[in-house]
Order: sequence, then C-alpha cells, then structure tokens
Amino acid sequence: MANPFRMPMVPRALRNLVSRPATRRYPSEIRPRFDGARGTIEFDVDTCVFCMLCARRCPAAAITVSREDRYFAIEQLTCIACGVCVEVCNKDSLSMSVNSRPVHTHAEVGPDGRRPGHEEWTKPLPVAPVVTPVATPTVGTPPAQGAQAG
Amino acid sequence: MKRTVIPMGPQHPVLPEPLVLDLILEDERVIDAIPTIGYVHRGLEMMVERVEYTEMGFVVERICGICSFMHGMGYCVSLESIMNVEVPERARWLRLIWAEISRIQSHLLWLGLGADAFGFENLFMHCWRMREEILDIFEKTTGGRIIHSVNRIGGVKRDISDSELAAILVKLQDLGTAFRETARIFGNDPSIAHRLGGVGVLSADDARAVDAVGPMARASGIATDTRLNGAHFYDHVEFEPLVETAGDCLARVVVRMREIDQSIDLVRQAIEKMPKGEGQALETKVRGVPDGEVFTRLEQPRGEVLYYVKANGTKNLERFRARTPTFANIPAMIKLVKGCDLADVPNIILTIDPCISCTER
Repeated sequence: MANPFRMPMVPRALRNLVSRPATRRYPSEIRPRFDGARGTIEFDVDTCVFCMLCARRCPAAAITVSREDRYFAIEQLTCIACGVCVEVCNKDSLSMSVNSRPVHTHAEVGPDGRRPGHEEWTKPLPVAPVVTPVATPTVGTPPAQGAQAG
Repeated sequence: MKRTVIPMGPQHPVLPEPLVLDLILEDERVIDAIPTIGYVHRGLEMMVERVEYTEMGFVVERICGICSFMHGMGYCVSLESIMNVEVPERARWLRLIWAEISRIQSHLLWLGLGADAFGFENLFMHCWRMREEILDIFEKTTGGRIIHSVNRIGGVKRDISDSELAAILVKLQDLGTAFRETARIFGNDPSIAHRLGGVGVLSADDARAVDAVGPMARASGIATDTRLNGAHFYDHVEFEPLVETAGDCLARVVVRMREIDQSIDLVRQAIEKMPKGEGQALETKVRGVPDGEVFTRLEQPRGEVLYYVKANGTKNLERFRARTPTFANIPAMIKLVKGCDLADVPNIILTIDPCISCTER
C-alpha cells in the first residue's frame, strides 16, 4: 500500500502558483503560425492556363476547371489542404498560404446554388487586336488583273 | 440475483470516443460485457473502389486522428512493396523519426485521458501541455498538427533540415526531463496507486490466449513488439521492448510512460545515424499501376496494426483492409471487465487506449 501522505504533485503545484500561465489570451494574443504550415489555397487567375491537372489530381474533388469556359472554382470547405494541386501546377498559379483565412462567407447554400466556401474565377479570352484597314486611294488605281481581262 | 443491463456509451463522460458496451451487472459486479462495433463506421476501406491508389493515402491517413502519420506510412509502405519501389534512405529515416514522435504524442494524449478518467484533471492538463510541444514540432516539419500529408508512395514530401533536427532533439530531451517529473507523480501518488494498482489484472497466459497487442501485452509480461522484426529501418536502431509483469492498469500506465523515454532515445539515435546534408533525394517517382497483394505490419502506439492491400493492375485497388490494435485488444478488454466492479470499468477501458474511429473505420 502506497504511503497516503506522499504528495508528489505539491512541488509542481507550488511552482505553478508563481509561473506565468501556460495558455495564451486568445483572441487578443494569437500565436503566429510556423513557416511551412498549411493554410488556405490561393489562386492567381492571371497565370492559369486551365490545363485541369489540379482538378484531376485533387483527392477531395474540390477543384472544378473548365477549359472551354476558362473557369476555375474551388470548394474551400471541401479542400483538405494536402497541397497536391500546388505540387502539380506548372504555372505556379496555385499556392498555399501559411495562415488560414475565413472561407465560409455564407452559412448555407445560397440562392444561386453556391455552396459555402465556394470561390470561382472566370478569365475572358484575350480580345484580338482590332486591325484597322488601310485606307486605299480610289483615284488613279490601276484596275485589277481580272477586270482588265474581262 | 436479478441482473441489470447498463448501456455504456456511445456517449459517456469518461469515454473520449464512442465505444458501445452493454454491461450486465449483478449488484455492483460486472458479469458480462457485450461490445457493439460499427457506431462510427465510415466505409473508408470501400473508398478504394472509387479513389485512385495515389490519392487513397490521404483517405487512409484519416482513419485516425492520433496515429494518422503511421496509417499513411503503412499504406505507402504497402504500395511500395507491391510496386518494388526503392525509397531513398533519408526518407526512411524521416519516417522513423515522425513515427516515433507521433508515438510520444499518442502516449501523452492517452496519459492525460487516463488521468482524467480516474479523476486527476490537474495531471491531465500537464500531460496535454507537453503534447502541445509535440504538435508544434509536427506543424513546423509537416505543415499540419494532426493530419500531416507528408507520406507519398515512394518517399516523403518534406525534408527536415539538419539544424531543425538538432533543435527538435533538444526540445524532445527537455520534454523528456519535464516528463520524468510527471512520471514521478504517476508512480508515487497514493491515489493513483490505489485507483489503478491491482485493478484489471491480465495474466501473461490470458494475454496470449486473447492475442493482446502492444502495451497491453507488454504490461502483462509478453515481450512483443512489431518493431523487433526490423522493418521500416528499425533494424538500424537499438532498443528493447519494455515489459512490465504486473499486468494491472498501473503496469499499462508505466509501460506507456517508459515508452515515451524510449521513443525520445530512438529519435536521438535516428538523428545521429542518418546521413547529414541537405538536398538529398526524398522521393522516388512512381510510374504505372500496382498489381499484386501484400500484408504490412507496423507497431503503432497502441500496438500492432496490419494492412492488407490487393491491387489488380488498375488505378483503383481491389481491396484494402486495416486491422487496428484496438480491435485486437477488445477481447482482452472484455475479459478484464468481466468480474470487476462497475466503478473500475472506466479505468480498465481507458487503459487499453481505445481508438474507436480506428476500430470501426
């Protein structure tokens, strides 16, 4: 039978009385995240070529890409932050931030059918440069070859 | 005498996870216990039919939130042996280091929950405060505190720099010093000795008969440890399975406490023996699809885990099975609960370190 008068917790309890608290005063004191921590997926629409590699490799099927419509969408609440899309992206359009930002902008499926955490981008096709026709002088122009023959 | 049936769980103040147990009592004594498995079944094993084998690793990792690294590692090792992939040496050392760190994390978590179960909430907080340091190491090195996602088929995704490894070792050794003080409380406090000593005794013969695994078997005097087979680079480090002979709840606590020290020593050995230098290969590119079947064994914090993977030459595996240590320890738990007092049931259940999300997958 153990000695009932032994109190091995007492030294630590006394030390805890004078030491600073082990917890932080969240939310006024926020611990910064470590470098390399996995946060939220960020997307840069300007560099994306809509190759669909990220959508094919995403384990959670959180990414939708349409090459025809030049459309990219990610369900941030479905994303498991594994980082596979960032690894496979050839254009560095996808990156992972260290901090997690709030992605649930609305609580339920919106009137337009958008799920919470849905983010989408569309990139319009670059407009072809307008070629202004060169004004051709009408006076003194030699007739075309065919017209001459006719 | 009239019998009473008390349903224990799935929701119970002492249970960290939804264990479902029907206790049959005569007065205050438990006559029988009937477990029910499947309350949190998620069908993760069946997902191999629609998730490609390269992506299944992320699913397997989510079997459990405590041994997530080891589940991911077990799956990747299985696929590597089917596909005959040679994993770079540094990746194998890193896997060993992360696996041992996650063992420390799991044991600290469990010691806290165990202390909470026998009413020592103060000690629970001290254990979890130390566990927080381990989670910081994980966040720094893998990017995630619980789900790490660093294992890939063919290696690991992230490296740990040599300076960071040295810092981790210093941190772990400091933690070991702090933990030894907590271990003295566990070992010397009269209320803990009174509450756990001589309760739920599993003899070595009984442990063999019900095939107990992990710390449960080692606390009953059986020197079993899957790491002894030398797989996963454990043949490069020196260690002995830690055995206690009493077989009671206190012995199971002591085995886990000693294993924390052992894991810190294994991390130290790994850091000293692994080849130094940055920029070493971490991953072998895997091409093609797997074809064949394999059994893989690993020593998780709770005991031996067994994976069965069968591939059929397509992108989707044909079969994936995981026999987790808690599942193997449930017969031992039932054996211990029979004949004990109702007040001792929570302690006995907690000392097998039940992980129901592992068991029911």
